Amino acid sequence: MTKKLRKLLFILLILIIVLPVAGCGNDKGEVLEEDVLEQDWDLIVASAQGTTVNFYMWGGDDRINSWVDNYVSQTMQETYNITVNRVPMDAPEFINKLLGEKQVNRQKGSIDLLWINGENFRTARQAEMLWGPFAEKIPNFNEYVDTDALDIAFDFGFPVEGFEVPYGKAQFAFTHDTARVSNPPRSSSELMEWVKANPGRFTYPEMPDFTGSVFIRHLMYELCGGYEAFPYVEEVNIEDLNEQLQPLWAYLNDIKPYLWRQGETYPSQIAQLDQLFTDGEVDFTMTYHPSRFSGMIDQGLVPDTVRTFVWDQGTIGNTHFLAIPFNAPNKGGAMVLANFLMSPEAQISKYDPTNWGDMIALDINKLEEKYIQEIESTDLGIATLSAEELANHRLPEIASAYIQVIEDLWRDNVIKE
Amino acid sequence: MKYKPYLYLAPALLVLTIFFLGGLVFALLQSFGYFPVLGLTQFTLKYYLLVVKQKEFMASLTFTLYIAFVSTFLSTIIAIYLANYMVNLKQKNKVIDFMYKLPIAVPHIVAALMIVFLISQGGFLARIFINLGVINESGQFPPVFYSRNAIGIITIYMWKEIPFITLMIYTVMKNIHGKLNDVAATLKASPWQVFFQVTLPLSMPSIISASAIVFAFSFGAFEIPFLLGATYPKALPVWAYYNYISPDLYNRPIAMVITIILTSVCVMLVGLYYLFMKKYLRQWG
Repeated sequence: MTKKLRKLLFILLILIIVLPVAGCGNDKGEVLEEDVLEQDWDLIVASAQGTTVNFYMWGGDDRINSWVDNYVSQTMQETYNITVNRVPMDAPEFINKLLGEKQVNRQKGSIDLLWINGENFRTARQAEMLWGPFAEKIPNFNEYVDTDALDIAFDFGFPVEGFEVPYGKAQFAFTHDTARVSNPPRSSSELMEWVKANPGRFTYPEMPDFTGSVFIRHLMYELCGGYEAFPYVEEVNIEDLNEQLQPLWAYLNDIKPYLWRQGETYPSQIAQLDQLFTDGEVDFTMTYHPSRFSGMIDQGLVPDTVRTFVWDQGTIGNTHFLAIPFNAPNKGGAMVLANFLMSPEAQISKYDPTNWGDMIALDINKLEEKYIQEIESTDLGIATLSAEELANHRLPEIASAYIQVIEDLWRDNVIKE
Repeated sequence: MKYKPYLYLAPALLVLTIFFLGGLVFALLQSFGYFPVLGLTQFTLKYYLLVVKQKEFMASLTFTLYIAFVSTFLSTIIAIYLANYMVNLKQKNKVIDFMYKLPIAVPHIVAALMIVFLISQGGFLARIFINLGVINESGQFPPVFYSRNAIGIITIYMWKEIPFITLMIYTVMKNIHGKLNDVAATLKASPWQVFFQVTLPLSMPSIISASAIVFAFSFGAFEIPFLLGATYPKALPVWAYYNYISPDLYNRPIAMVITIILTSVCVMLVGLYYLFMKKYLRQWG
C-alpha cells in the first residue's frame, strides 16, 4: 500500500513539475522586443501588420467603449491591418495584474496598451511595471504635443519622463437638470446651503471612485487653503495632512445627514450616481467629461434640459495618458495604436460630444489650419460649457501621493462614525 | 490496483492543489508579511494586529456573519417546508417541479439585477406605488439595497439558495416518503409526527450538508455585497478586495490577512456545525 502510495505521489510530482514547463514551452522563438526602440518607425508599423493589440481601459462609459470598438478598431484595421482588442478593466485592477506578473517575472504578459494616469501611473513607475521611455518614438507626439507643458510633462505632479503619452484631457463639471434646479450652487458654502434646504437630493460617489475622489478635492481646495497649500511631495505625512484636512471632514460630516439616504451609504461608482440622477432620486451628478451630457442628450438618454456648470473658483482638470507595460507582448503594435490615438483625426473624432467629447491632448498651435477649422466647427452641444469658460475655470491637480491618503482618511473621518 | 481511483482523480486533484492550495499558501505567506517583490522578507504578525485592531474589522465580520446566517437559516427553513410539501403532493406537479429548479440555472448577477429592478427605490414596485399614490417620491420606498440591514442582499441569496437546498433534500425525502412514512402512518402517527419523527431526522444529513454549502458560499461571496452593499460596513470579501486593488502595494498583506481570516472563520464554523449536528443526530436517532 505504502509503496503504491509512494508511486502515486511520484507520478503526481512529475505531473506538477512537467505541466507548467510544458505550458511555457510555447513562449520561445518570439522576436526580442527590446529591439523595438532601436527600430525605424516605418519598420515598426510594417512589422505590426496583422497583429492584435490588447488595449486595457476603464470600461464604465458606453459611449467611450463604442468609440473604441467602432471608429478606432475599424480605422486601425483598415489603415494598419491591426486588430484592436478592447479589454474593460479599472486601472487599479490592471495595476494588480501587472504586479502579479512582475512578481513571477512573467516576461510575456497579456496587456499591450494601458489607459492610465495619476496615482496608478505613480505606482506603476515605482514598481517598474512600465516599458520605455517610448514617447519620442511616436511621430505624432513629436509633431503635435507641447512636450514642455506642465500637464504633459507631469502627471499629477509625477514626472512622466517618456513612459506615457498624452491621450486626452478632462475637466470636472457638475451636472443638473434646469427643469428641477434653476440656480445651482457654485461654491462649497452655496452647496452646503442648498443641501440643507433640500435634504436627500445630493450625494457623491464613495472613495476610491475617481469622480468622487476629485469632488472632495474641490471642497478641500476651498476649505483648506487652495491647491497651493498642497505642494508636491514624494511621501505624505499622514498625521499632518489629517490635521490640515479637519475643515474638510467637518464640512462633510456637517452635510452628511442631509445627503441621499442620510449619508448612511454612498453610490459606489459614478455610474450609480448617474443612474440616481436620471431616475430623479438626486438632483446633481458630476463628470470628468464636460461634454458627456451633451452627447447623452443627443442620444436621448437624458432630457434636453440637462446642463453642466463649474464652480466660481474653478474645477480640477487633468490629463490622461497611454502607457505600455514592461511585458507587453506586442509593443510595436501598441506604439502604432498610441500614435493613431494621438493623431489629429482621432483626437478630433474623440472631441465630438456624440462620440466621446474628450478634450484634445495636442497643442492647438501646432495643428494644421484644416484641423483647427474642424475643431472650431465641432458642435460641443447645448449642455457643454465653452472651451474658454472651462479654461478660465481650470484648477491643477495635486501630487498623486496625496490622493490615496485623502481617500483613506475620508473612510476614517466620514464613514466610520 | 488500489491507486487507480487516485490516478483517475489526478487531473482534478492537480487543479485543486496548484490553484487552490497554491493560492492559499501564497496568501498565507503574504499575510505574514513575506512579499519579496516589495522587499518584505521578514515574517511578522503586525498585519494581523493591524487588521484586528481596526474598528472596521469587527463591523465587517459581524455584517458578513449576519448576511450568511440569516440567508442560510431562512433558506433552509423554507426549503424544508417546500420539499416536504412537494413530497406530500398526491401527484407530481410539473409546474412546481420546473419552477423551483429555474433559479438554480440563473447566475447570481442576473438574479441580483432582476431583484434590483423589482424592489430598489427606483424599481418597478416603487414606481407602481408612486403611480398609485401610496408614496410621493421614490425616496419614501423602504431602502433595501446599499443599506446596513442588507435585506436586498439576503433576498437575492434566498432566491438562489432555496431551490438549491430544496433540490438536495427533496430526493432524500421522497425515498423516505415512499416507505417509512407509510409504515409510520399505519402505526397511527399523525402527519406532524411523521414529519418530525421520521422525515426530518432521516433527511437531516442532506439538510446539513446543503446548508453548510450555502453558508460557506454566502459568507465568502464577493459580487453581490460589492455591487449592492453599503459604504460602511463592507462585507469581508469586499473589504479585502479594496485593500487588494489599492494603488498602495503595501496594503497587499492586509488584503491577504483579511482573506485568511475569512477562510479560517468559514472552515471553523462549518466544521463546528457538522460536529454539533452529528452529535445531535446521534442523540436523536
